[in-house]
Amino acid sequence: MDAILQIIAIFAVISGAAFSILGLLGVIRMPDVYTRLHATGKVGVFGVVFLLIAAIVWLPAGRGKALMLILFLLLAGPVTAHALASAAYRTGIPFARPIRDDLEHLASAPLNDADTPSA
Amino acid sequence: MQLWMIFGLWLVYLALTSNLEFSNLVVGLLIALGLTALLRPSPYPLRLQRIPGMAWALLRYGIMVGKDVFLGGLQVARFTLDPKLPIHPAVIAIPSGAEAELATALSAHTITLSPGAVVIEIGEQGMMYTHTLDVTMPDEAYFKMQRQRRDLLTRILPSPPT
Repeated sequence: MDAILQIIAIFAVISGAAFSILGLLGVIRMPDVYTRLHATGKVGVFGVVFLLIAAIVWLPAGRGKALMLILFLLLAGPVTAHALASAAYRTGIPFARPIRDDLEHLASAPLNDADTPSA
Repeated sequence: MQLWMIFGLWLVYLALTSNLEFSNLVVGLLIALGLTALLRPSPYPLRLQRIPGMAWALLRYGIMVGKDVFLGGLQVARFTLDPKLPIHPAVIAIPSGAEAELATALSAHTITLSPGAVVIEIGEQGMMYTHTLDVTMPDEAYFKMQRQRRDLLTRILPSPPT
């Protein structure tokens, strides 16, 4: 049984390390902030998630904490990516080589009432 | 709904502290009660006969999200490692189709969780402006996936009081 758990833990550690490296490579190679978010915001998160899975399998004492960390990461990771993308768009950072931009028609208008400065 | 929230918060506390002594159980329960009193969750009715359907829909939703995340992760990994970086980024408008704001928010969360897609803005009537790394599918494919998400979320989420 220990051998099986060890193999699962090793697989999870290798996957986690691979995802983390891919996230880092993505930051270097992707052309703009929006595409970089795909690499860091999610692929990087999965790197940590796999490392935590390895901790769950190999360290029984920390199972509860690791499970909760995975849950919080999966809840907070997308929120962070969305907040950064939204902030980048609102501050006017352009897209690199977009094929199409359905959001373009909103660029000249305030996105909602809260953006309209009061007199 | 409040009982479920108290129970959930209590479980989270116990998982984080990893201590099942009686005093810790009581402290956890008090913290869960205090947080629920502070947060005041909406009193959505949770009928017992709906729970099996909700659980089944939740399982299907989990499998669908897991599949999207896995395939998206592989796709982003392939783009990152390809020397030509063959991405075709675009911002596409995907209607959430959900009446409840919570369903729209959870749809946007799920889309953003999948590698290869980030919801940048949610516009009027739940329109989700989504940045995708590779727009190779027709729009109808994105809309169909969103309809599946919406249908499952409608079954998972408790109905708001009428």
